Amino acid sequence: MNPLEQIPEDIRRTAARCRHYAMCKIDYLDTGLCPPAKKTPYVSYFPQGRMDLCDALAKELIPVTGAAVDIISSCTLCGSCDRQCHFVTGMRPMKIMQALKAFLDAFQEKGEKAAVIPEDELLKALKNIVGHKWATNDPAHLLAYANDPFPLADRQIPGYVVLPGSAQELVEIVRFADKAHIPAVVRGNGGSVFGFVFTPGIVIDVNRMKKIHLDPDNWSAVIEPGVTSFELQKAAAEKGYRVNTAEPAATVCGNIVCTGLFSTWANVYGVGADHIVDMTFVDRHGTVFTANDKNAPNVFGFEEAVLESPGICTEARIRMHPVTDDEEGLLVPFTTLADAVSFARDISRRRIGLSVGILGGHYLSTFISPTQSLANQTRDVFSSILEINCVVSVIGDRYARSSIRQMVPCVIDSSTFRMFTLGLPQLVRSDLADIVEGLESDRPAYETVLSAEMLPVLEEMLAPSSGTLAAAVDEDLRDFYEALYNRPHMTDMVWLTMFRIVSARMSRHKHMFAFLIYVPLEPMDVIQELITSFAEIAEDHGIEHDLGFITPLDLGKRGILEYDYYIDHTDNAESEKIRQAMADIEPMVDKLSRSCKGVTFLKYIFSQGCARKENFLYA
Amino acid sequence: MLSQQGYTVLLLARPRDNAAPEERIKALFDWLGTDGIPSCVQIVPGDLNCSDLGLSSADYHLLASRVDEIIHCASDTSFSERKRSQIEKANFENLHHLLGFAAKSRCCFFHFISTAYAAGKRRGVCPEALVDTRSFFNVYEETKHRAEKSAAEYCGREGIRLNIYRPSIVYGNSRTGKTLRFNAMYYPVKILVFLKNLYLTKNGEQSREGAEKMGISFGPGGTIHMPLRIEAAASGGINLIPVNFFTAAFSAIMETALDGDVFHITNDKPKPVSDIIHYTQKFFTITGIQAVQTKDFQSSSQNRLEMLFNRYTQVYRQYMQDERIFDNTKAAAILDRKGISCPDFDYSIFSTCMQYAEAVNWGNPS
Ligand SMILES: Cc1cc2nc3c(=O)[nH]c(=O)nc-3n(C[C@H](O)[C@H](O)[C@H](O)COP(=O)(O)OP(=O)(O)OC[C@H]3O[C@@H](n4cnc5c(N)ncnc54)[C@H](O)[C@@H]3O)c2cc1C
Ligand SMILES: NC(=O)c1ccc[n+]([C@@H]2O[C@H](COP(=O)([O-])OP(=O)(O)OC[C@H]3O[C@@H](n4cnc5c(N)ncnc54)[C@H](OP(=O)(O)O)[C@@H]3O)[C@@H](O)[C@H]2O)c1
Ligand code: SF4
Repeated sequence: MNPLEQIPEDIRRTAARCRHYAMCKIDYLDTGLCPPAKKTPYVSYFPQGRMDLCDALAKELIPVTGAAVDIISSCTLCGSCDRQCHFVTGMRPMKIMQALKAFLDAFQEKGEKAAVIPEDELLKALKNIVGHKWATNDPAHLLAYANDPFPLADRQIPGYVVLPGSAQELVEIVRFADKAHIPAVVRGNGGSVFGFVFTPGIVIDVNRMKKIHLDPDNWSAVIEPGVTSFELQKAAAEKGYRVNTAEPAATVCGNIVCTGLFSTWANVYGVGADHIVDMTFVDRHGTVFTANDKNAPNVFGFEEAVLESPGICTEARIRMHPVTDDEEGLLVPFTTLADAVSFARDISRRRIGLSVGILGGHYLSTFISPTQSLANQTRDVFSSILEINCVVSVIGDRYARSSIRQMVPCVIDSSTFRMFTLGLPQLVRSDLADIVEGLESDRPAYETVLSAEMLPVLEEMLAPSSGTLAAAVDEDLRDFYEALYNRPHMTDMVWLTMFRIVSARMSRHKHMFAFLIYVPLEPMDVIQELITSFAEIAEDHGIEHDLGFITPLDLGKRGILEYDYYIDHTDNAESEKIRQAMADIEPMVDKLSRSCKGVTFLKYIFSQGCARKENFLYA
Repeated sequence: MLSQQGYTVLLLARPRDNAAPEERIKALFDWLGTDGIPSCVQIVPGDLNCSDLGLSSADYHLLASRVDEIIHCASDTSFSERKRSQIEKANFENLHHLLGFAAKSRCCFFHFISTAYAAGKRRGVCPEALVDTRSFFNVYEETKHRAEKSAAEYCGREGIRLNIYRPSIVYGNSRTGKTLRFNAMYYPVKILVFLKNLYLTKNGEQSREGAEKMGISFGPGGTIHMPLRIEAAASGGINLIPVNFFTAAFSAIMETALDGDVFHITNDKPKPVSDIIHYTQKFFTITGIQAVQTKDFQSSSQNRLEMLFNRYTQVYRQYMQDERIFDNTKAAAILDRKGISCPDFDYSIFSTCMQYAEAVNWGNPS
């Protein structure tokens, strides 16, 4: 059967472009999760897995198997994936789902039979532990666990995927794998996109382990390893608390172990060991220990080396933080990064504000724009007309906001932010350039445009409303976007910073390959040198690049900086460019790290994410 | 103009926004309505930012061997202190690149377009001569002043005659309204028109709620009421000259004043702000705007619209209530003889200029 007939080129291309950031695994737009995936949370049932399946069938990498038939048949064509995926990536996977249906229909009309994949002894043993439904060796499932956009690794199809339902089952799987000398790797949601969750052996997918228990008296939440940041934050927020989370689709346990979980909230809530009260692990031989046990392996220490993780976290007690009812967000605009860093450092030192992050022009414009073309135009307006090249984004109570207003000439407060967000399509079309051009002021244009007397004029120009915003998206999505942006939280900086549903938009145009470095915030030279080096190396290799964000840490003494390279991960030539660039980047950062106190490459923190931050920030 | 007088004009031009110098100059002549680039105009792709004018050594020397007179009008006309280094570079350093070239060439006459406002902060009469001034309203005035002095010293040393031309504020062609830029005199008017169009669209729709927030209301017959007091000096006003007067005056002086001197190309009748307000209201059917004297204008009592307008027009304020009087005896002696005079900026000229501005959407094709 020729798959090309039902899966045309444009659909294949879209399927191959799935970023694997797992945003379809959380119900972040209240569309409801993909219904079949909710029932059977193998990655393969999620839209992400279906895109992989489409890609694999089109490339004839796998036969049509029983699981493939089930996955395709189970799709209800409800359309949720189209809305979710468009929101972050701009892609429309519905046509993939329809093509898969057409493909299966044609297959069945021809009277062809799905391939039956025989069970082997190993699979039987795994099924004995987790039950029949939750272990598989069917390639239609396996291939959803075989790769991510990481450009430096090839597809690696695992032998088995298993979804334990409890810590006990998980421990048994680890013990079994150890005894059988089969490599096993735990997978949260695969959102690390760094080639970490692949093995020829067993992939342990923790997505059935999603219990959350809040313990307010101990200011903590006890969670299972399948709980995502979005889900935990939602549970905590419902009771009036906050947890420090980052990427919403990341599992909290996986994120802490993997990167130490950094976010703009790290300014007050810290990173690494700061997140946890305790964690339970099973090491690779099946021994269970808790981090607080005095005889346990020391997960809080740090060594500047690429090490294995201490084991699989089967449960964690995560710190919760208080929230006051007067928190709001504001953005402080800057023309130069140096001024933004100095301000962010200053407020961090003075303990003003909670979440503090410097966002570069790309982040700012893509986060608030519902489409890529609007993001590009927005960035242009911000930088060339308003002279805003970066902003310091702050969440703070009324005292913090009032202090900030006294420190800077102007801010984008929560209502102005709302106005910009809902009026963006008008902003980029407006005559603003025309009237700002003649200003000739000694102050940056944004100070005039954001002045109190100008705001009503801006409001008139932008006509901010959910309808105005929705006009920027495809016609058939407008009603959805209008209803979505009628909900106040979609323009509430506090909610957006807590739930971070827009951050993956940074990669809407291309997959991002992120570099993260802990840095001193003073003197500015170190940051400047890093940024210049990243930029130069990218230019040398013809790679698109940009500053991501910088967040102050520990009263402004240190910070974390993200610099991003952008590549089309479906293009081998682009992967090759990254491979070559890496040969320049690693020595550059290592050299800087040796000569400058406070510079640490995140690559050494991978899998040592539970370490005390002091051990890598000041050692 | 120069081409009509029989000169061969070598036009130093740089590329911009992906357009080659030739393309840019061609577009300029198209805009001027001539039939292509006149044959006596030759384009020399170069760049004043470079000490060698962006020319190869051979081209530099070839050009030097062909030049008899130089007209220098390139300038950074921004007022913004933040752009000081860029303005200093364009108005001062780059002048020296050209003066250096002049010294190495057969050039015997250097024509430098300066500004009447090189006079700096003054009240009363500003002489048609090099003066010592230390205080300026902005970096533009300051750099033009320094440039004049420096050009005079340099040319004196090198034995090159120097004419300094000092126009006041140039607006479009008084007969056609034609202009390429809508800055200076146009900008404050443009802000008012912008506000009017924001609240009262071309097809008559009114945004009452939005307008109210700025204290703006609507009257009968498409009028819009803007409660706006604009600070104005008791005497003086804006010194405005049309570009056609400037070009005619420049060429007459260039032809006549062969010993080198300083000339004010200015208007004897500065326009009071109140007149321009009147014109603006009449042309754009606006009411409510009035000129008030500084002593009657308390900034603490400003309404939102006034704060907005003042913020946008702050840098132009000193030119709107200018009390500098430009002596133009020397220029007048030449211009009177040739029957060249500066027209009064009356309502008829204002209308012509505004009709043009509206027709080309204030230079914004979209
Ligand atoms: C758009 C985008 C933005 C991001 N921004 C941030 C950010 O701001 N801050 C940040 O910290 N990270 C960020 N990341 C990285 C990513 O969120 C983290 O790597 C996170 O770990 C991914 O979670 P996951 O559950 O998908 O982990 P996976 O990718 O499934 O696993 C990551 C690693 O952790 C291991 N692991 C998973 N679960 C467990 C467990 N229970 N016990 C032990 N080890 C486990 C895996 O074996 C693997 O080595 C970002 C990623 C993307 C795509
Ligand atoms: N307009 C007025 O009201 C007024 C009043 C008094 C005096 N003047 C004087 O008249 C002259 C012309 O003014 P204008 O209003 O026509 O100004 P303008 O529209 O800003 O034009 C300035 C010209 O200078 C050129 N220029 C600027 N920086 C340059 C650089 N670094 N290198 C090379 N060329 C550069 C520009 O070339 P590009 O196009 O390549 O950028 C442009 O052609 C100036 O000397 C100004 O001081 C003007
Ligand atoms: S259309 Fe199909 S794949 Fe998409 S969310 Fe609905 S059921 Fe899932």
